[in-house]
Amino acid sequence: MNLEDRIEIFGKILVNHRIKVILGSLLIIFTISFGMKFLETPSGYRGFVEEDFKYYKDVLDLEEKYGNIDVLTFVVKPEKGNIFQKDVLSLIHELTEISWQTPYSSRVSSITNHQYTTVDGDDISISDFVDDVDSLSTNEIANLYGAAVLEDAVVNFVMSESGKIGLVNINLEMPEDIAFQEPISFAWEQKNYFEDRYEDIFVGVAGSAQFSHNFQSTSESDASKMYPSFLLLIIILTYILLRSVVASIISLIIIILSIMPSLGAAGWLGFEVQPPLITAPIIILTISLTHAIHMLSIGLTNMTEGMTKNDAIIESLKINFIPIFLTSFTTAAGIAGINFGDIPAYSEMANTVVIGAGIGFILSVTMLPAMFSLLPINARKRKSYVLEVLKNLGELIYKFKERFIIVITAICIAVFSLLPNLHFDDYFSTYFDRVPEWLEVKNTVDPEFGSSFYIFSDMQSNEPDGITNPEYLKKLDEFEGWLLTQPEVADVSTISDVIKSLHKNMNGGLDEYYAIPDNKALIAQYLLLYEFSVPYGMDLKNQMTADKSDSRILIRTNNSTSMESVAFNARVDEWVNENISPFKTNGVAGIPIMMPQLFVENTRGLVIGLLISFTFIIMVVGISLQSFRYGIISIVPNIIPFVLGFGLLTLATDMVTAAHQFAVLISIGLVVDATIHFLSKYKKALAINLPPREAIQYCFRFVGYPIIVASICLFSGFLFLTQSMFYYNFIIGGMCALIIMIALLIDLLLLPALLLIFGKKV
Amino acid sequence: MKKMNYAKIIFIVFALFPFYLSAETAEEQGLRIAKASYENGRGFTDMVSDQLMILIDPKGNEVTREVSGKTLENLDPNDGDKSLTYFKTPKDVEGTVMLSHTHISDDDDQWLYLPALGRVKRISSSNKSGAFMGSEVAFEDFSGTDYRKYEWKFLGEEIENNETFYKLESYPNYENSGYSKRISLIDNLNRTYKVDFYDRKGELLKTLYLEDYVLYKDKIWMANTMKVENIQNKNITIFKWLNRELDVGINKKDFEKSSILRLAD
Repeated sequence: MNLEDRIEIFGKILVNHRIKVILGSLLIIFTISFGMKFLETPSGYRGFVEEDFKYYKDVLDLEEKYGNIDVLTFVVKPEKGNIFQKDVLSLIHELTEISWQTPYSSRVSSITNHQYTTVDGDDISISDFVDDVDSLSTNEIANLYGAAVLEDAVVNFVMSESGKIGLVNINLEMPEDIAFQEPISFAWEQKNYFEDRYEDIFVGVAGSAQFSHNFQSTSESDASKMYPSFLLLIIILTYILLRSVVASIISLIIIILSIMPSLGAAGWLGFEVQPPLITAPIIILTISLTHAIHMLSIGLTNMTEGMTKNDAIIESLKINFIPIFLTSFTTAAGIAGINFGDIPAYSEMANTVVIGAGIGFILSVTMLPAMFSLLPINARKRKSYVLEVLKNLGELIYKFKERFIIVITAICIAVFSLLPNLHFDDYFSTYFDRVPEWLEVKNTVDPEFGSSFYIFSDMQSNEPDGITNPEYLKKLDEFEGWLLTQPEVADVSTISDVIKSLHKNMNGGLDEYYAIPDNKALIAQYLLLYEFSVPYGMDLKNQMTADKSDSRILIRTNNSTSMESVAFNARVDEWVNENISPFKTNGVAGIPIMMPQLFVENTRGLVIGLLISFTFIIMVVGISLQSFRYGIISIVPNIIPFVLGFGLLTLATDMVTAAHQFAVLISIGLVVDATIHFLSKYKKALAINLPPREAIQYCFRFVGYPIIVASICLFSGFLFLTQSMFYYNFIIGGMCALIIMIALLIDLLLLPALLLIFGKKV
Repeated sequence: MKKMNYAKIIFIVFALFPFYLSAETAEEQGLRIAKASYENGRGFTDMVSDQLMILIDPKGNEVTREVSGKTLENLDPNDGDKSLTYFKTPKDVEGTVMLSHTHISDDDDQWLYLPALGRVKRISSSNKSGAFMGSEVAFEDFSGTDYRKYEWKFLGEEIENNETFYKLESYPNYENSGYSKRISLIDNLNRTYKVDFYDRKGELLKTLYLEDYVLYKDKIWMANTMKVENIQNKNITIFKWLNRELDVGINKKDFEKSSILRLAD
C-alpha cells in the first residue's frame, strides 16, 4: 500500500468519525490552551538576556555591592527659558517630595534636594539647594543657575549643563521577579497631574525603569491593537480568496485553534510575554492560514468539478498532506535556528512558532477535513482570470526562458553589488522609537544629556578603608579623566569628586583646594564628617562598600551603536589592564554595555543557526523530492529573495540589526514552501510524461494560484507586524513581507525558467 | 465593714472601667507611656562608655568601628543633651572628636575636630536623616528617643515571646524625617523592646531591637545592645555599649566648643 492510499484511508476515517475528531481535538486544544494562564509578565530588558550571560552577571555583581541599577527619571522642561523660574522650581520641588512615595524607591535626587554646602571660615553649612521656593526673589532664583552649574553632582545628573532641563532621579530597589508596573503607574499619575497643573512645563517619564517597562507596555498595546484588526483582515482575505463564508469560518476556527494551544504551551513552558512573543500568534496564524487555504481551495475546486463534499476533501488531503507536512517542517526548521541566538525572548518566540507550526499541521489534516465534511459548504466557481494570466505567463516564460534568467541574473548582480554597504550593527536605544511618548522624552533628553542610560564600574583597593588612600583616589581620578575623553561618555561621577569638594569646603571654599589631598587620614576624616551630615536616602552606600574597600563609578553615556559600545568596552579593558594596577576593576557594566554585547553574541549565534537551518531545509527538500538536482535548483530561488531583499534594504539603512537577522530565519522556511509546492508538482508532471512546456502549465494550473494566495496571506501578516510599537517587530514584519513578495516573483518568473533549462532529467 | 468597702470600690472601679477608658484618649495614653519610657532612662547626670558599631552585609561580611563617648544630661526640659564622641578605629580617624548639642525644636549644633586638619569645623545641617558611617542608623534614631519629637498613639497590647507589650504608634513632628511612622513595643517596665520604622512611602524599612537592659542606680534602665535590621537592603547594624558608667562627674566645660582642642590630645 503506498502513501497516497494510506492517506485516503486516514481521510475516510476522519470523515466517518468527524464528530469524535472535532470533539477530541477541542478537548486536547483547550487543555493545552489552559497554560495561557501561566504566561509570565515580561521582566523588561533583563528578560532579553540569559541569566548566565557574562555582561549581565557583571551587572548583577555590581547590584549586589551597590544596590539596584534601575532608575526612574522625571524629565522637567519648561517651554521657554531654563528651570530657574519660580513655577518650574516649585514643580521640581513638589515632584521631588512626592517621588519619595514611589513604590520600591530608595533614593530621590533633584536640583532642589541637592545637598549644597556653603562655607564661612570654619562654619560649614549644608542644606537643600532649593527649599522654600516661595521665599526666593526672582533675582535670587535667576542667580541659582550660576551656583548650580559649578556643582559636579548637579550638571549632567539632575540638570543639563544649559539649565534647560531638570531631572528628578528615583533609584528603585525592585525585589526579584517584580515588574516595573507599580512605580511606572505612579510616575505617570504624577506626570499627568503636574502637566495639568503647570501648562507650559513638559514632564516626561524616562530612565531604565521606563525603558524596561516599554517591553511590557508595547507587548500589551501590540496585542490589543494588532490582533483584533488582524483577525478581521483574515476573515475578509479568506472570503475574497475562497468565496465561501463557511470556508472562511473554517479557516478562522483552524487559525484560532492553532494559536491558543501554542500560547498555552508557551505558558506551560514558563515563557514571558516579551514583545517578540507578540509576533508568534501572527506568524502561526499566517502559516495555518496558508495550510487552510491550500486544503480548502483544492477541496472547493474539486466540488465545483462535481465531486461530493467528502470525496473532495479526501482528495484535497491526498494532494496536500505531504506538501503541508514538508512546509510546516521547513518553516519550523528555519525558525528553530533562532535558538542559536542569545536572546531568550526570541528563542521563546521561535519555539512557540515551532509548536504552532506543528499544531497547525495536525489541525489542517484532522480537524479541518472533519469540519469541511460536517458543515454545509457551497462551492462557487471562481473567476479564472488569475489562471488565465498564469497560463499566459507560462507560455511567455517558455518562449523567453533564457532572457528571463539573464535579466533576473543581471538584476541580482546589480543589487548584490549594493550589499557591501551593509554592516552588522544596531542601536538598542531605538527599540521603542515607535512609542510616541518614549520618543518625545528621548528627543528631549538626548540632545542635552547624551542619553538616558548609565553604565557603572567598580574600582577595588584590595584593603579595608583603601578608598581613602590618596593613591587610590588619584587613580580613580585618572580613570575618570580618561573616560571623559571617550566619545561614548557624557559625564562621570566618582567618590573622588566628593573628596575634592570636601577638601575645598574644609579650606574656606577656595577653588585651589579642589584636589585630592595627600593625607590618607585627612581623607578618612573628611569622609567621616560627610557621612555624619547626609540626609535620608543620600548616604554613600550606593557608592562605596561598608568596609570602604571599593567604590563605584557612575558614567552617563552618549548614544552609541552596538559596535561603538563594544569597541569602547574593549578600549576600557585595555586601558584598565595597562593603567589600573595596583588596584583592580572588572571594567564597565550596565545596559549600554550589555545590550551591544548581546547583539554581537546573538549575531554570531544566528549566523551559525542560519547555516544549519538552511542546509537542513535544502536537505529536506532534496530528500523529499528524492533528487539531488532539484535540491540544488531549489537553492537558487531561496537565496535570491534574501539577496534582493537586503540589497533593497540599502536604500533605507546601512545597518543589519538583530531584527533583520531574525527576519531571515523566520522567512527562510516560509520562502521555501512555494518552491516545494512547485517542484513537487513539476516532478509529478514529468512523471506522467508531460513535455516540459506542458509540465510548466501543469504547475501553474495546480499550484500557481495557491502559491499566490499563500504568499499574499504571509505578506499581509508580516505587513501587519509593521504596526508594532516595538522597533524590532516592525523591522521583522517589513523585512519578511519584502522577502516573501520577492520570493513569490522569483518562484513565478525564475523557477520555471530554471526548470525548463536545468530540470529536464529526473 | 471594711471588707465591704473594699469590694464596693472594686465594683465601682469595674463599673467605671469604660469611663476610665474614655477618659484617656489613645493619643494621651500613647504620650503617657512614651513619656514614662523616656523618663525611665533619665536622671543619669552624665555618662561615659565605649561603643562598638558592627556592620553586617547580606553576605555576612562584618566591619567593626570603635568609638567612646561622654554624655551630659541636660536638666532643662526644653533642651537636649550634649555629647562628645571620640573615634578610635579605623586608624585613620583616630583622634577625631565630635561634639553635639542636641535641641528639641531647633537644629542640633555639631562640631567636629579633625586631627589631620588640626581644626574644629562647625557643621550645620538641617537634615541629618541619613544613615551614618555606612550603618543602618540615622541620627534621628538616637534623638528620636525624646518623646517630644513625635506624636503618639496607643494601639493596644501585644504579646511577643510570651511577654505582653504596649504597642505605640508615633509620627515625627519635625521636617525632613526619613520616616512616615514608627511602631514601638514597650514592656511593663516601660523599656522599649522593639521599634519598626516605616519609610516615607509607608513601607517597613527597618526594625530596631533593644537588648541587654541593665538597671543603673536602681532606677535607670539602659539597653547595652541595639540591633537594627534593614528589611529592604538586608543589612544589619549592631551597637554595643561597653563599660558604661553613670554619674561620674564630668566637667560641664568639656562639652563646650572651646574645649575640643584641649580634649582631643
